[in-house]
Amino acid sequence: MGYTNLHYYIGGMADWIENGGPVEKVQPAAAPRSSQNIQSLVSRTSWTGFLDLLAGWSLERLVGFWLGMIVVFGVVYWVAGIGMGWGLQAGNVAVKPNLEGLGTAIYFSFVTALSIGYGDVIPLGALRILAVAEGIAGLLIFGCVISKLVSRRQEELTGEIHRTTFDDRLDRVRTNLHLVFSDFGAVQQLQVEQGSLPGQVLRRLESTVRVFRGELQTVHDLLYRSQVVPDEEALESLLANLVICLQSLVELSGSRPKNNGESAALDNGLRAIGNLARDICGECVPRNYAPALKESMDQIHELAGKIG
Amino acid sequence: MFQAESKPDSYHAYRVISRKEILARLQDPALLLVNVMPSETFEAGHIPRSISLPVVEVDSKARQFLPDSEREIIIYCAGPT
Repeated sequence: MGYTNLHYYIGGMADWIENGGPVEKVQPAAAPRSSQNIQSLVSRTSWTGFLDLLAGWSLERLVGFWLGMIVVFGVVYWVAGIGMGWGLQAGNVAVKPNLEGLGTAIYFSFVTALSIGYGDVIPLGALRILAVAEGIAGLLIFGCVISKLVSRRQEELTGEIHRTTFDDRLDRVRTNLHLVFSDFGAVQQLQVEQGSLPGQVLRRLESTVRVFRGELQTVHDLLYRSQVVPDEEALESLLANLVICLQSLVELSGSRPKNNGESAALDNGLRAIGNLARDICGECVPRNYAPALKESMDQIHELAGKIG
Repeated sequence: MFQAESKPDSYHAYRVISRKEILARLQDPALLLVNVMPSETFEAGHIPRSISLPVVEVDSKARQFLPDSEREIIIYCAGPT
């Protein structure tokens, strides 16, 4: 861009910090009051905090926790019946301190946690409080399990939609690049035949260059900040298409009469294409690709230098 | 754009500068440090006295921020690319 006294510090921030260079930071502006209030409100209520914690768990963990809680409660009911004398009662008889009794206690625990409440086994004394507490906890956790199940299905669907849109987009880029390529070819032939381009064809070339620029930007974004990684085969065909388009664009601009100044839009488009394509090279993209892909990228990088 | 420049090429002439040299001349007003990372990254930490010019804005804003094309300019980003 015409700067004559340019230096490049290759190490960048990583090297700077690693060797203890001074670092300056921009203090973030104070957060707006309202959001602070909301935040303190959230942290003050430990109940929502507990629910948030549960919501963060995986489905398996939640179900496991829920089952474990029920069994533990069941054992507690049973032990309370042995030790303290105010245990569970089935019919009018106290639950026995044997294995059968343990089974009954766990059964009661399930019935309580699911808030079924048949009433065939009843808690006595202080166990009532425990039973109510289990009922509340069981409902909350079970609610979390259900919501997890629903949202999991939803996430699957969203993922599916993302994938489909992504594939569609790739298809469109491919098709567009092909059209761009044939357009460039046609324009070039016209130029060879007639020596110069009639205005109408020039408009068309401008629009083709615009489309090409857009698709190049898409591929550029795909390489630099894509959340979804395209499979290498798809990427390879895209890059190959890019290469032939760039090649024919280079030929086209090479045979175009220089300094005609007839279209600023065209010149701008070409400059943008050059800049975008220059970013694409085997070494500079953030992810690692197969050698064949790197080669295409280097080719693109090289061609970029010849544009404009 | 500058990532591409980690490979020396003919159409962008620049000189590589070392960390030591920057450190020694940190107070030198003739030197202009340009951080080309996104502005959030810039805010999180940068070499003192740097200005922020994210790569994506180089084309559109370079002339505005760096009007003097003969000035000594140091560009840097996150690390070796």
